[in-house]
This record gives sequence, C-alpha cells and structure tokens, in this order.
Amino acid sequence: MHPVTYIGRKLLPREKRYAIIEREFLAIVWAVGKLSCYLLGDAFYIETDSKPLTPLPERTTIGQRQEMALVADALQATVGASEPWPDDVLLYQQYKAEQITLPDCTQCLAVEAFLRMCGLRFNVKCKTNAEEMSPSGKVPFIQAGPYLVSEFEPVVGFVARKGFSLSRDMSDTDRSEMRAYMSMLENILGNAELYMAWFNPEISNEVTKPRYGCSYPWPLNWVLAWKKQRAMIALLTANDWASKTVEEVTEEVHTCCLALSEKLDKKKYFFGDSPTELDALVYGHLYTLLTTKLPGGPFTSVIREFQNLAEFCKRVDSAYFSD
Amino acid sequence: MASEKMKLEVWKGDWGLPSVDPHCLAVLAYCKYSGVPIEIVKTGNPWKSPTGNFPVLRHKGEAYCKVTDIFSYLRKEHWGSDFELTTKQSADVVAFSALLEEKLLPALLHLWWMDDKTFVDVTRPWYARAIPFPLSLFLPGRTQRKAELRVNLTKGGDYISETETETKIYKEAKECLNLLSHKLGEKQYMFGRLPSSLDALVFGYLAPLLKAPLPNNQLYNHLIQCDNLCRVVNDVLVTFFPADLREMEEKQKKEQQKAKTNSSDNSEFPNRRRNMILAGLFALSAMAAYAWSSGLIQIQITDLDSASSHNKSANSRRGQVTVGGGDGPS
Repeated sequence: MHPVTYIGRKLLPREKRYAIIEREFLAIVWAVGKLSCYLLGDAFYIETDSKPLTPLPERTTIGQRQEMALVADALQATVGASEPWPDDVLLYQQYKAEQITLPDCTQCLAVEAFLRMCGLRFNVKCKTNAEEMSPSGKVPFIQAGPYLVSEFEPVVGFVARKGFSLSRDMSDTDRSEMRAYMSMLENILGNAELYMAWFNPEISNEVTKPRYGCSYPWPLNWVLAWKKQRAMIALLTANDWASKTVEEVTEEVHTCCLALSEKLDKKKYFFGDSPTELDALVYGHLYTLLTTKLPGGPFTSVIREFQNLAEFCKRVDSAYFSD
Repeated sequence: MASEKMKLEVWKGDWGLPSVDPHCLAVLAYCKYSGVPIEIVKTGNPWKSPTGNFPVLRHKGEAYCKVTDIFSYLRKEHWGSDFELTTKQSADVVAFSALLEEKLLPALLHLWWMDDKTFVDVTRPWYARAIPFPLSLFLPGRTQRKAELRVNLTKGGDYISETETETKIYKEAKECLNLLSHKLGEKQYMFGRLPSSLDALVFGYLAPLLKAPLPNNQLYNHLIQCDNLCRVVNDVLVTFFPADLREMEEKQKKEQQKAKTNSSDNSEFPNRRRNMILAGLFALSAMAAYAWSSGLIQIQITDLDSASSHNKSANSRRGQVTVGGGDGPS
C-alpha cells in the first residue's frame, strides 16, 4: 500500500469552535465527500487513531466497528440529503408476466406502491437479470443518481433521507405499532409466500421453477432454479418454517390477516386518512396474493374472508395505480 | 379441567433468573401470570426432549415444544389472560410477537452463540456444566450452528460482510427495544393492568439481557436507558419469581462469606511468621551443614580438664572452633 494523494484544508472560523470530536467527524465527512468520485460504488476503510471518538454514546463496548457504522450513517445522511430527488430514478425488477416469482412480486409491488404514495417520479425498468444486478441479490432495487438501493426498508430509509416520509407526523406509539405490523407481514406472509412458491412441490415444479429459469437456455434454467430452490429451503429450515404443514401455514396466514383486518377496521388506511409504509407493504402482499393464479389457489380464499382487506386493496389500486 | 397435571420442562436458572433461556422464561412467566397448576421441572438434560431443547410441555401423552404451540395449547385449556383483551389488542399481540422474533431474536442469538468472547466465557461453560456428560460434548455446538445458520441466512447473505450483518442486527434490536418502550409507555403491562402473552414474551427476551453477566453486552447499555422496560422485568421477577431471587441472594451471601474467610486466611500472620521462621531455620541449618561437610567450619571438642591433667607440658590446646578460608585450620 502507498499513498495516492494528500488533502487538507484550513478550518473555517465557525468550525474552529467545534469540539475535537466534531472536528474529527468533519475531517472524515469532508475527506470522503472530496474523494467521493474515487470511493463511490466500492467498499472502503477509514483508518483513524482518534482516541477521543471512543466515549460517544452507544459505542462503549464495541469500539471501532460501531464507530465506522456511525460515520457511515453520518456520511449517507449528509451526502444523501444534499442532492434532491433525481429525475431519472429507475426501479429495476424482473418481467411481470413471464418471469417474476411470487415472493419477489410482492416486494416489487410494495416498493412501487410506496414510491407512488410518496408522489415521487420514477420509471419501472424490467430486466431479466435484475436479481444479479441488485446490490443485495434481491429485487427490486432503485437507481437514483449514483446510488443503488435494494429492498423495501432500505428504500424507505433512502427516501426519508431525501426528505420524503409517510410516517413523519405519527406519534411514537403509532409508529411502533406500524413497525410491529410490518414485521408481522414480513415474518408471516413473507415466509408463507416463500413456503408456497419454493417448498410446495406442486407449485414449485409447475410454476416457480419454470418461471425463474425462463430467461436462461437449457440446462442453465434447471440448474439455476434448483440452486435458488435449495437456498430458499435452507432459509425456511433455519426459520423453522420447513417443518410446517400446508394447513399450519394457512392457519398462520389466517391469523395474520385477522390481525390486519382488526387493525384496519373501517378506516380508509391503517393509520387514518393518509397512507403509511405499512399500507404500501400490505397492498404489495395482499394484491399479489389475490391476483396471482397458482394451482390450488393458496391463501386467496383466506384473504377473501376479510371483506375490508379486499376493499382496501381495491382502494389503493384505484387511488395510486389508476394510470 | 385436566385430570392429569401438566408438566413443563425448562432449562435450569442462574443469575437470579428462573431459567436462562428466553423461550423457557416466556412460558414460565405465562404460567405464573395466570396461575396454571403445573409441575415445573428445571433440568439440564434434554435427552428426552423431542427437539433436544427446552421448553417442553407434556400433558396427556402429548409434548409441545414451540412457544406458540404451548401458548395456544394453554389457551385451549382455558389458561391465560389473553381472553380479557379486545380483538384489536389481540391483533397487536400477534404483530408485536412477530416484531420480537424478527428484530430482537437474531441479536440475542448473536449475543449468546456467535459473539466469540461470550460463547467461550459464558455460554459454552454454562451449558457444559448444565448438560450431563456425553450430550455436553455436542449439544452446545449444535445449538451454535443452528443459531449461526438462522442469523446468517435471514440477516446476512453473500452480499454483505459479517461485520455489516452484526451492525445491522444490533441496530435493529435497539430500534425494537425503543418501539417496545414506546408501546409500554407508563402502563403497568402492555395492555393495562393485566399481563398478556406478549408481556410474557417480552419478559423472556429482556430478563436475560438485564441479568446475565455477559462480557460484550451492548444491548444492556441500551436497555437500561429504557426505564419502563427495566421496571417491568424487575417487577415480574420480584412478584412472580421471588424464590429465584432469594436463591441468588443466598448464593451471593455464601460467596461473600467464602470470600471473607479466604481473606481472613490470608491475614493470618502468626502462621505465616512461623512458616517464615521455620524456613529461615531450615535454610540456616542447611548452609551450616554444607559448610561443615565441605570443611569450611571445623569443630573440635577437647576435654579441657582431662587434657590439662594428662599432659600439661604438651603444646597446650583448647577446645576451639576455627573458622578460616579454604586453606584449612591455621
């Protein structure tokens, strides 16, 4: 290793009044901003001998690593907030009609609904290899300027740093309830979708695997689909879902829908008259489950039991997806 | 009502907790909240458990191993306080239970089983002591592999590094603690004055965080700032599990006494001094013996009186001790 460049600058008069620790943060943030053209799109290390950084809150036990996470957060916040929402944001996903699998489809729809609810400009771009292009290996992901952000929660965080949020005016209690229901959706419906799509032999052989492999030539379409299935089954096993029967999974989905239905009650959206992140996620899951035609029709009848949930899906569809 | 008594097998307790395992604690708390007539077996031998882990609830020849299964079985037998909840509150119970499982459980698994220092210093020794011999060789390792698999597959992946995963799960866990704290507010329990199955779960997850002496416990620092959560955990421990607290106090007292007697042993100077004197004497005599045997010291004893009476004219010699150099007596 050898030095490539040396940079430095004088402190401004107001910066001279910073505490040492703030100056150190300033140095890191400034340096990364200055060198961002070399650093963007790559993982990098920041070396510091700063002992005074240690007594910052929450980092008393773990030291350096957390420190870096804190710096990374600060960087993302400062660098991200300085740029407005770009015009050419693209939402990448797989082809809806032929390729996309059930669990991926719910996630794509949820992100799309969220961006539409925020009123942000974006274009959907379908790519057969969207999964390989994504920084986390999962669809969907958005490209905004130099940033690639994938999956629902990181996108929500990214959008919030640009100054758009659906849950800013909520009370703390409401927000914690919203997070809890979002966890429930991911934990129960998300796993149930994976279970049905990849673990149920009928659906995985007839629908999921052919769709997943459709863009590859033989024999790659079989090999890749088989690899993906193996990874998904390992995930379900680790989550204790692989040991469940179809009846138990349906029961879990019923519990989840019952809870959602109770929470929604007769309101327009889950927390009053304007949508939140939870509404986007619920719409993504339920709309996909209601409209996808799969052998055996899992869960569709379960969801149809709850009148208000079906109406909710229609309402969001007409309000945000009418074009 | 059940004719046969229910039997609940859980991991042994320590550090003032009735059990060390979050799931066992949750089931225990649920039973205590509603006063279920149940026989509790605290053990370290999972030989007979169908999954090789605890808790296990046995009733009428059936065994239930998962917390959700145990809760729903107890509910079916009309035990528990969830009946008092409105349907909305029941929905909240489902949602927050999922939140705990998704956000807090990975951090707990990481803390106990994947943090190298904690695993070597606390977790493995504890389970090795609790589990009888042949099982103790592979059960902790198996549980660790399971925990690693779960955390890595659900939170990590090929695309992010291990440290990033770690940062992510602890961040999520801290957020989860904040959310729980907001939800609890100033109330006695999550839904007012009666504890629900959600309170049991929360207690199960938080009590070991608060009480176990883990070396790398970064969640502890965060948890003690959420006053209301700490208050609930301590209240539940005092109200429902006073025996375990007493046990710990007695244990601490015993240890203190032991420490006291140890320290008084150390301060017993007479013995020490005697030993030092004895050692000094021994060293001295050994040196003297060496000096005598090598001829540095000569001891000649002559009877002065008889010698003088035998021949006075002979060159007179006295009983003398001569100490000299290497060249012998002068």
